[in-house]
Amino acid sequence: MPPRKDNEYIDADSDSDVDILDESGNRGRKSKGKAIDRRRKDKGKGKSSEQPYAWEASYARSWDTVQEDEAGSLTTAVADLLARNRRRRLLAPANAIRRTIIRHLIIILDLSLSMMDRDMRPTRFDLSLEYAREFIVEWFDQNPLGQIGLVGMRAGLGERLSEMSGNSQDVLKAISERHKLEPAGEPSLQNAVEMARGSMGHLPTHSSREILIIFGSLTTVDPGNIHDTLEACIRDRIRVSVVALAAEMKVCRDFCDKTGGQFGVAMNEGHFKDLLFELIPPPAQRVLSRAAGAGATNPAADLMVMGFPVRLPDTSLPALCVCHSELKSEGFLCPRCSAKVCDVPTDCDICGLMIVSSPHLARSYHHLFPVKPYQAIISLEEGSAFAKSCHACARSFPDAPTSTFTATAEGMSPLGRYRCPDCHHDFCTECDVFVHDVVHCCPGCGK
Amino acid sequence: MDKSSHISVVLDLSPSQWHLSSLPHNPYPLSFKSFLSQVLAFLNLHIASKHENTLAVFGAFPGKSVMLYSSSNPASDSSDSGNPNIYRPFEIVDSRVVTRIEEELELIDDKEEEAPIGLVGALTKALCYINRITHPTTSTQSTIVEDPAILPDPRILILSVSPDLSTSYIPIMNSIFSAQKLKVIIDVCKVYGPNTVFLEQAAHLTGGSYVYLERRDALLQHLVMSHLPSPALRKLMAVPTQEKIDFRAACFCHKNIIDVGFVCSVCLSIFCAPVPVCSTCRTKFPIKTLQRLNASRAPALRPVNGAAKTSAPSTPSLPSTPR
Ligand SMILES: [Zn+2]
Ligand SMILES: [Zn+2]
Ligand SMILES: [Zn+2]
Ligand SMILES: [Zn+2]
Ligand SMILES: [Zn+2]
Ligand SMILES: [Zn+2]
Repeated sequence: MPPRKDNEYIDADSDSDVDILDESGNRGRKSKGKAIDRRRKDKGKGKSSEQPYAWEASYARSWDTVQEDEAGSLTTAVADLLARNRRRRLLAPANAIRRTIIRHLIIILDLSLSMMDRDMRPTRFDLSLEYAREFIVEWFDQNPLGQIGLVGMRAGLGERLSEMSGNSQDVLKAISERHKLEPAGEPSLQNAVEMARGSMGHLPTHSSREILIIFGSLTTVDPGNIHDTLEACIRDRIRVSVVALAAEMKVCRDFCDKTGGQFGVAMNEGHFKDLLFELIPPPAQRVLSRAAGAGATNPAADLMVMGFPVRLPDTSLPALCVCHSELKSEGFLCPRCSAKVCDVPTDCDICGLMIVSSPHLARSYHHLFPVKPYQAIISLEEGSAFAKSCHACARSFPDAPTSTFTATAEGMSPLGRYRCPDCHHDFCTECDVFVHDVVHCCPGCGK
Repeated sequence: MDKSSHISVVLDLSPSQWHLSSLPHNPYPLSFKSFLSQVLAFLNLHIASKHENTLAVFGAFPGKSVMLYSSSNPASDSSDSGNPNIYRPFEIVDSRVVTRIEEELELIDDKEEEAPIGLVGALTKALCYINRITHPTTSTQSTIVEDPAILPDPRILILSVSPDLSTSYIPIMNSIFSAQKLKVIIDVCKVYGPNTVFLEQAAHLTGGSYVYLERRDALLQHLVMSHLPSPALRKLMAVPTQEKIDFRAACFCHKNIIDVGFVCSVCLSIFCAPVPVCSTCRTKFPIKTLQRLNASRAPALRPVNGAAKTSAPSTPSLPSTPR
């Protein structure tokens, strides 16, 4: 089905759990791989010896991972993926709570000619765009109240690619058109950082200010002294992190060390991605897990006062907004002082209340209250009444066990029947997956 | 060419609310019987406007929810002689929906009548059903043959009469996000009762339209004008938009709907009053924060304290609105 493009409200990709059937097995495997990588890194910084350089790596052929059965059909493979997914869910730790604070991040993309280098496949430029997209989706999933802005470094200038926004679709749109980002000229670190710094000046104090630079060049052409910019970043408490694609540069290292950010040089594609994705969890989480682990009181935890606004339609009478003093129809009303602001989340300029739209918060709630795993019904010989059809989608259940599932039975029902432990209704395989991975709400219990 | 479309209609069938709606002191009383006949006319219109159009009807009853009709498994008793003057598909839909509603209402006894309305169940069932018809099944035992070329453009229409059920805040939000993922739009027609905050958000976040029915004698006209056109057609039409959208949330502790709340920075749980420990993730909050929040929260109750606070530079001492 071609997605409807006219619909700006739908941001389907902003939650990364979106795999319904097909990629689920791959995802599980991938994330496991990532966890192993991370552990390896924590142990010691000896990853270079274990991970091959790009030119030493062999192609990972994705079609090798799916195998046909003797009859030449993929059904068993699909069933196997499903079963694995179910088991993963049963084993998932109960404490899936993540700490979240309000973050503001500007990503600075190097768009200089050095990004056309082909030492990373297909080019540094294409790869960083692709990873940036994945990074943004994952980042918004873990930081539902965060905002991201984009700045490009091209031809000696800083270019604002997208304004700070809490909507992942807005941000992704800015890097969706490759031809508009075609690399040119030399990069200017100072111009870009100054531009990023300028757009974070007004931010509330309790939120984090971060800059992430993806840097492919080994030079920077700056109009002034870049160390002044560094001082200004330290003063504004902006944390600068750099992922370099070429080699270490002293000034980049200084930026990271002095502002408390992370510096890394990517050795190959996988390492590049790991370096980026390490920056996704909120800083508080990283500090805590390093310090003591679970159980310790967390100094970053706090109770925040937040207001949930009323949104005015664009047909309402125009009024001045308190943030830009512009005459506008649409906007949000502060619930405490009724001042009108242009966008949320923000701090009310009049009373200082933090204004957020409640759906932003609600996006992470399914992690807090997951649906209990359904029990696979193995046989119908219990004498009790069995529903003829799925309680959710009304598809009829097969009367006899199907042969395809018997091979991979563990955790799977040969009848394609799964029962909710609370409401005792039966659901089909597809609804079982859909309820647990997407809806996060049992259609029988209604909660 | 205009694609075929699918509507899952969710009917709010709360007997007590329908009783209130039919009382003559309302500006425009609407009885359940008249409501149902207008809805059936709307359903027939949808089926008639394109041959491939599909339909599912879900009923939200007190304490439960049921699928009343779906075009992929229509009535099994197709043998009974129908009225030759009625187009056969219309007759099937009408009789099926009416009999199913009657059956279910029969089953409800007086005790259950007070149970909270099963709107969430009906909504999630509609989503599961749409998930099934838009993602042709991978398993072999499927009986439905789907042509991927004519996958319907799915949407959900909720005809609501019950007020917000604040315990269902999180499930409704989860349903909204899954609707976004499935690219399903949720239309809401508020037939009776006060505006519901959660359904307003549902319509807004999925790009649907929320219509508050003032002239309830014109239900069918509203349904046809704002909810019949497919999403593709709506760009060309002036479909009523929402006035204000209320982004309030329900607190986790008392399920009150609040506009200013206290939020745990770790798990984002919402509370209506400062709490020392987050009940969801067991995080302890600093005592200083609690003192500050408690002090700034009730300046009207303790004027002495409030006055003293104005000299302290750290806390803004603006009077907070009563909640
Ligand atoms: Zn403004
Ligand atoms: Zn305010
Ligand atoms: Zn099902
Ligand atoms: Zn259940
Ligand atoms: Zn409460
Ligand atoms: Zn908490």
